[in-house]
Amino acid sequence: MTLDRRRFLQLTTLGLVATLADSACAPSDNRDSAAAAQPQLITMLGPERVRLLGSHYRAATPSENTADALRAAISSGHGLHIPFVGNKSLDDRIRDDFAAGRTVVVDGWVLAVTEARQAALFSLTPA
Amino acid sequence: MHTDARTLPNGTVLEGDLCIVGAGASGITIARELSNTNLKVLLLEGGGFDFDPQMQELYRGEIVGLPYYPLQAAALHYFGGTTNHWAGFCSTFEPIDFEKRDWVPHSGWPITRADLDPFYARAQKVIGLGPYKYAAADWKNGDPDRVPLLADSRLVRTQMWQFRGTRFGTQYRDEIVNSPNVHLYTHANVVEVEANEELTAVRSARIRTFDGKEYSARAGRFVLACHTIQNARLLLASNRQATAGLGNANDLVGRYFMEHFEMPAGELALSKPETTKTKLYELDYMKGTPRGEIELSPEAQREHRILHGTASVEAGNYGDEVKSTFQFIDTTMMNAMRAWQKGGMKGPMPIAAAAAATAPRTKGPQRFYHLTTRQEQAPNPDSRVTLSTEKDALGMPRARLDWRVTELDKRSMRTFYRVLGGEMGRTDTGRVQIKDWLLSDDKTWPSFISGGWHHMGTTRMNADPKQGVVDANCKVHGLANLYIGGAAVYATAGAVNPTLTLVALSLRLADHLKATND
Repeated sequence: MTLDRRRFLQLTTLGLVATLADSACAPSDNRDSAAAAQPQLITMLGPERVRLLGSHYRAATPSENTADALRAAISSGHGLHIPFVGNKSLDDRIRDDFAAGRTVVVDGWVLAVTEARQAALFSLTPA
Repeated sequence: MHTDARTLPNGTVLEGDLCIVGAGASGITIARELSNTNLKVLLLEGGGFDFDPQMQELYRGEIVGLPYYPLQAAALHYFGGTTNHWAGFCSTFEPIDFEKRDWVPHSGWPITRADLDPFYARAQKVIGLGPYKYAAADWKNGDPDRVPLLADSRLVRTQMWQFRGTRFGTQYRDEIVNSPNVHLYTHANVVEVEANEELTAVRSARIRTFDGKEYSARAGRFVLACHTIQNARLLLASNRQATAGLGNANDLVGRYFMEHFEMPAGELALSKPETTKTKLYELDYMKGTPRGEIELSPEAQREHRILHGTASVEAGNYGDEVKSTFQFIDTTMMNAMRAWQKGGMKGPMPIAAAAAATAPRTKGPQRFYHLTTRQEQAPNPDSRVTLSTEKDALGMPRARLDWRVTELDKRSMRTFYRVLGGEMGRTDTGRVQIKDWLLSDDKTWPSFISGGWHHMGTTRMNADPKQGVVDANCKVHGLANLYIGGAAVYATAGAVNPTLTLVALSLRLADHLKATND
């Protein structure tokens, strides 16, 4: 199997993002890594609002109320059979979600399902 | 020529070829078009040349449906009509607005946008607008920052607006008064329209003054151009010969009253405020620079089976309360604006001063924008004007307004923001938040439900007398010589303010009257 540049970036950032996921289960000191993988929504709406959105998403979606479930949901259907994917790919998936109408309304915000899950995962990290 | 009707002897009979009742945007437009023709035109205006509280009180009415703005404050009853306080927001109906849409009950006009195009071009000049151009690219004005958001979207477009609050009463008073064949009568309130014995044509209009005098106006043809609510009221009150009122054989007069919803409905957070250009959407009312509003394409409207709406994009602070039009311009503000206008528009415009309170408080790239809906309401036969049991000072039954909306209205508004949110996300322009009130069920409306004082319908246009009061020429079905001018003839409301279209329709009616003058 050859790796194109994009796939390479996905896999090399995998470890970084996995750190975030781990931090959701067990708080880590590696805050820099976690911040690097924060949802893009944070830039737009701020961390507090995104955390709140994430909490509300989890409350409205009981089947995705744990970090494992969220990681699985985010990676599902991606075809890589890996627990998580890189930021670049997530951005693409968010765009794809919007294009395909895979949106969800959380606190009135029209979000891509993937970014809503990201927010939910973020809400599980320590504030 | 001009005569104050109060000076006429009791029992005077006025005679002309054409009698226009009402000197607002429609009546003045038609009269101007017929000026310098061989027609003797009577132009009857209930009010004088200035605001008069006693005259305005005749417009007071009963509100029995959804909460509504006081009727005596929503439209003006003197020469120039409601153009004496309108804001001059102008844009065109789009082709889809005239079409029969199977998801919009009672939609469809017997005319098309192409039929109106030449009249729109003329109406631009009547109002004093710029060129008849409404594409965003036409109004770039050489400024690279005036570009649409979402330029590449199949679903979302930018609707352009032009602004010119021309006061018809001021602008065209001399022309009307000096016309050789138009005779303006002020303080000539028509309280009844009388038909012939067969009820096939109008014979005269009865005029009454506050001091108890009565006159009549006789003409070969009549145009009711009072105002959407008042036109219906006058036809319904003309019930001595036909108990349901004139032109109302099919119980349609007064029905299908429509407004444009004007309500805060969403927020926009830009992804990249440093580089996203929003200048095209800025409102610079005093300069009258054309601006854009966001709308869904006809394709999107068809796909989602929704009504036509737009959203204004106003920079603001996230979390600030944004008021609906009725809230923002309450009667106190309305009076302040009137005083400011009467005082020569010196000092800050009261509305602008109030708007400044919600202007962005932070400097630097602007991330948040308020989205305010402007949307047609679905034609609804149960939304209607009838007669109150109370009478006004001239003995005429007051109007009773029962404004009602449908589930399609709210579903359309919510869907608009879902689609817009999807497109904003797909292009990573930003994210859209839908207001709480819009997320609830389709039947519940908030206390701040608001229109824009855009009164439409009540004598709707349809080729079938069982579905409309007037035909494609604005002639009342069943009455050979009675026409309706103004937004009362609208079959559907379109998304944009009504005045430009009503002026275009009035020009079209004037041409018809000229062409059919025997």
